Amino acid sequence: MTPTTEQSNAYRPDALVVGGGIAGMQSALDLADQGLKVMLVERGPSIGGHMIALAKVFPTLDCASCITAPKMSASSHHDNIKILVNTEVQGIQTLNGVHHVKLLKKATYVNFDKCIGCRLCEYACDAEYPDPLEEGLGAKRAIGVAFTNAIPQKAVLDPELCATCGTCARVCPTDAIEFDQQAETVIVQTDAVVVASGFALNSLNVKPQYNAARSKNIISALTMERLLAPHGPYGRVLRPSDGKIPSSVAFVQCAGSRDASIGVSYCSRVCCMYAIKQAMLLSGALPIADITIYYMDIRAFGKGYEQFYQNAKAMGVNFVRGKVARIDPVDDGDLSLHVETTEDPENFLQEHRHDLVVLAQGMLPDWDMSGTTPVQRSSDGFVATPMLTSPTLTTAQGIFVAGVAAGPKDIVDTIAEAGAAAMQVSQYLYQKRSANVSESQTAVLVG
Amino acid sequence: MSDTNGSTRQPGTEDLDLACASPEEEEALLEADPNYMKQRAAVQQHLERVQQKRSDLPPEVRVGVYICRCGGNISDVVDVEHVAEVVGLIPGVVTAKVNTFCCSDPGQQTITSDILEQNLDRVVVASCSPSLHEQTFRGAVSRANLNPYLYEQVNIREQGSWAHKHDHEGATQLAIQMISAAVGKLRYSTPLDQIKLPNHRKALVIGGGIGGMKAAVDMAGRGILVMLVEKSDRLGGRLNERGRVYPSEKMASDFVHELVQKVNSHKNIEVLLNSNVTSVSGFIGNFRTVITGPFGPAGATATTDQLVGAIVMATGYRPYVPRDGEFLYRQDPCVLTTPEFIQFSQSIDAHARDMVYHGRTIRSIAFLHCVGSRQLDGVHEPQPDGTLNTYCSRVCCSTILQQALAVRERFPKVRVYDFHRDIRTYGRGEEDYYINASKAGVVFFRFNGEDPIKVERSTRPNGKKSAPLTVTVKDALTWGEELEVPVDMVVLGVGMMPSHIEDLVESIKLSTGEDHFLQEVHPKLRPVEVAVNGVLLAGTAQGPMNIQETLNAAGAAAVKAASMFAKDVVELNPFVAVVDASRCTGEAICVTQCDYEGALKMVEVEVDGRKMQRAEVNAGLCSGCGACVPVCPTHALDVDGWRLDQYNAMVDGLVSEPPSAQCAVPELVHLG
Repeated sequence: MTPTTEQSNAYRPDALVVGGGIAGMQSALDLADQGLKVMLVERGPSIGGHMIALAKVFPTLDCASCITAPKMSASSHHDNIKILVNTEVQGIQTLNGVHHVKLLKKATYVNFDKCIGCRLCEYACDAEYPDPLEEGLGAKRAIGVAFTNAIPQKAVLDPELCATCGTCARVCPTDAIEFDQQAETVIVQTDAVVVASGFALNSLNVKPQYNAARSKNIISALTMERLLAPHGPYGRVLRPSDGKIPSSVAFVQCAGSRDASIGVSYCSRVCCMYAIKQAMLLSGALPIADITIYYMDIRAFGKGYEQFYQNAKAMGVNFVRGKVARIDPVDDGDLSLHVETTEDPENFLQEHRHDLVVLAQGMLPDWDMSGTTPVQRSSDGFVATPMLTSPTLTTAQGIFVAGVAAGPKDIVDTIAEAGAAAMQVSQYLYQKRSANVSESQTAVLVG
Repeated sequence: MSDTNGSTRQPGTEDLDLACASPEEEEALLEADPNYMKQRAAVQQHLERVQQKRSDLPPEVRVGVYICRCGGNISDVVDVEHVAEVVGLIPGVVTAKVNTFCCSDPGQQTITSDILEQNLDRVVVASCSPSLHEQTFRGAVSRANLNPYLYEQVNIREQGSWAHKHDHEGATQLAIQMISAAVGKLRYSTPLDQIKLPNHRKALVIGGGIGGMKAAVDMAGRGILVMLVEKSDRLGGRLNERGRVYPSEKMASDFVHELVQKVNSHKNIEVLLNSNVTSVSGFIGNFRTVITGPFGPAGATATTDQLVGAIVMATGYRPYVPRDGEFLYRQDPCVLTTPEFIQFSQSIDAHARDMVYHGRTIRSIAFLHCVGSRQLDGVHEPQPDGTLNTYCSRVCCSTILQQALAVRERFPKVRVYDFHRDIRTYGRGEEDYYINASKAGVVFFRFNGEDPIKVERSTRPNGKKSAPLTVTVKDALTWGEELEVPVDMVVLGVGMMPSHIEDLVESIKLSTGEDHFLQEVHPKLRPVEVAVNGVLLAGTAQGPMNIQETLNAAGAAAVKAASMFAKDVVELNPFVAVVDASRCTGEAICVTQCDYEGALKMVEVEVDGRKMQRAEVNAGLCSGCGACVPVCPTHALDVDGWRLDQYNAMVDGLVSEPPSAQCAVPELVHLG
């Protein structure tokens, strides 16, 4: 169907990084800073990953953009990094130590060489749809730049949403719109691959007894991030069903993790901390609201995390140890939580009413590469890392892993692991090339 | 936003009027005020200064000011639009713009295109702390071919909107004044070049545990020479004391063995055992270190000097040691810490049917979590220095559950009790230990931090079956019931504390956090770097970590070293003292005031055929602290980028009335 081009004499990076989130960007930067040429491949229309949608990050409460945006910018300005967006990795074949990475360059219907990111097409487009980046709370157009700080600043047309009215093509000052653009498959050769494909969350409806399908006011933590973000859809915290300012918010922890009944028995590692962080931000945004976190164990294990937890307790966030058994929508869009607590022997089966509920969904791997690549997975679904003293090595030689692709991880641990993966890659390349050529030439080849 | 002529400052105009009094007027004034002559002299002096300043006035500047909303972090408090309007009126400011995220790529593009299109020659960004993004913006400015030191960052977030959350007007005013100070400083800024110094492609790794070994192997594998210094007589560190480790269930010795093999077989790594780094001086690319060890004849103690480009701190941790009597530690032989229990459990004969310790057959064991970790004010007794270990030690939960499970599997008759506050089996494969321990019959008790457990000697009659120790807990799982659990042995799940490296901290001038672990610059932006450039953190010297996390931290440190060594030279900010040789009279007062050895010294030069002493700065060693500047009697010293005329301009900017559209009058200079 789509023509495949073998790019034998085209751009040949030293390493190809799969995924343009924080792990991928950090690996790419740490490789590029050593003088290695990197191709950074991202499936979506912009690099940046999940972090661009977050409000502030624990435990420092820095705004997430202040960490991500500069790394995005540094990646895009680095002479040694080439970024490919709207591109999916379809498979990896390794021949004689060289990885042949099959890339699907999706049709964007916009010629990137011509597009100047002026967004006139976006302003003119009439087809409005819920914006996935805003967790459906805001609107996006069928054509447009992904978000204000997107890299690259290029418009992309979504053929599923397009009403084919042709307005965009008429307003585009550079004739960049190409309705007949075709997807293209290319094969890029490289000596090393870093898998930094990140995570997806399991569904809000994974536990039917929580009835998320029946209430708009049972939201994901990512939706809460958007509500808390100063540049979010409403600019303030309102509950989705009726725009009411919530006065009682509940966080239900382990709503998709540590639960064998849904097939995710592991801990997702970040939910305790982001719930505490969101609770703290909420108590700033809604000073009179009651905020309750229902939890099994608070896992505040990282540097400064326990102190962060104790601060939240001191600020008046209500921590209730107990497993939420059921959530029922009641009148006025409110929700009734049935909880078994360990607090009161006379009354341990409790019912609490809240007007907004945040579910801590579990983290799942976002890319199943078994079958299409030589990389093996563990029983938990994440990339297997069997090497004792090199946690970023996979089962396939020359393919490395960083971040949540190798198991749930917070941003701090992800960044460290991305650096470690880059180190492993550069050593691998250095040794591989030293074996082929003399020492003096190696110095020229690497760094 | 245009430069209004009316608001251009004319320093000291009113003094000129005073000085231009006619002789008659002067006489009258003298009669009226006997102090007139004194005042007049003061005026005269001031005028000279003003004239001098005027002749030094730089050419017209074209400043661009960019004010960041920081997505609301700033603009929720500071009225950024008003700030832009006001600072746009400051003479020399060509454009003043507001941006939601100045640090984002579109934000940076605005700056670079303005520089090119509007011929800006100075840039101010008013946003967050320079420690976060000064480098980011210097980079942006450089891309538009502007010297990066013609850039100033004004911190209106940490010092503005965050510090004055409830005073919107005050924070707005503060932002205006701080920007006005920065614009003033920039008027006197000159292009500066980074100091380039040789980069010694060799790293010193301090500590031979897995963190140190991994960093050494990684760097060596990239062609970097490494000297690995270990204070004990063997490599492996704390892992030498461990048996099977979670979650791989491999022997700790396997990890150690694999890394020791790589270290010993690598031609780029030199290992010094029984050695200590006793002194560190210098700077990135050029650290002079002194190592003391058995290098003398017949193993006598001697020292060796090593010049290295980077230092990796892999000094690790020490386990918390309970106080005498804390949970009966050191008062009852069967109260052990986790490392002691692991040693004991490894020593049990493979065919043993019973667990026997100090003659006591162990039929029940209590594992206590959070000993020396997660301490609370008013509940736990502080360390001798008065501090509490408020942090979580991260590895104890999984270690305890692994040990508890192992006991149940090996000695099914031994009852195992687990006393915890929260079970923190967060890592990959760790939750399984909790699940399996429950299945294997480990009995769990849970307590609140505010109600600590007690360990006491049993008071019951010393019958054959009675256990000698009693653990008392207010158990949350039974809704706060007070339970007494008789046990034969108590294992204290002790946390991690930083190693005793006070001398190194002092010598390298490292900073430590409230938890006394080494402090990184920023947990996400520069996670393995410290305030001293060229010094990197690998592992538990930075805070509690498990094996995998330590290996990753070591890799992250190694990659920073590799990037640094990818260049032949190190580039440093040029904020160092400079000597005006024409003014220096060689009195050497500055040398006596300098705190940085070798940064400032007197050298002999020839002036008009005569040999004279003149001060000379070593740019690599100078910290730019400025201690030498005020002591120089002839004003021959100044610090580049922070010169006195720049300070004066900043003070003027801070105290001046902000310009406004209605009232753009020149500021008056008052004479005391």
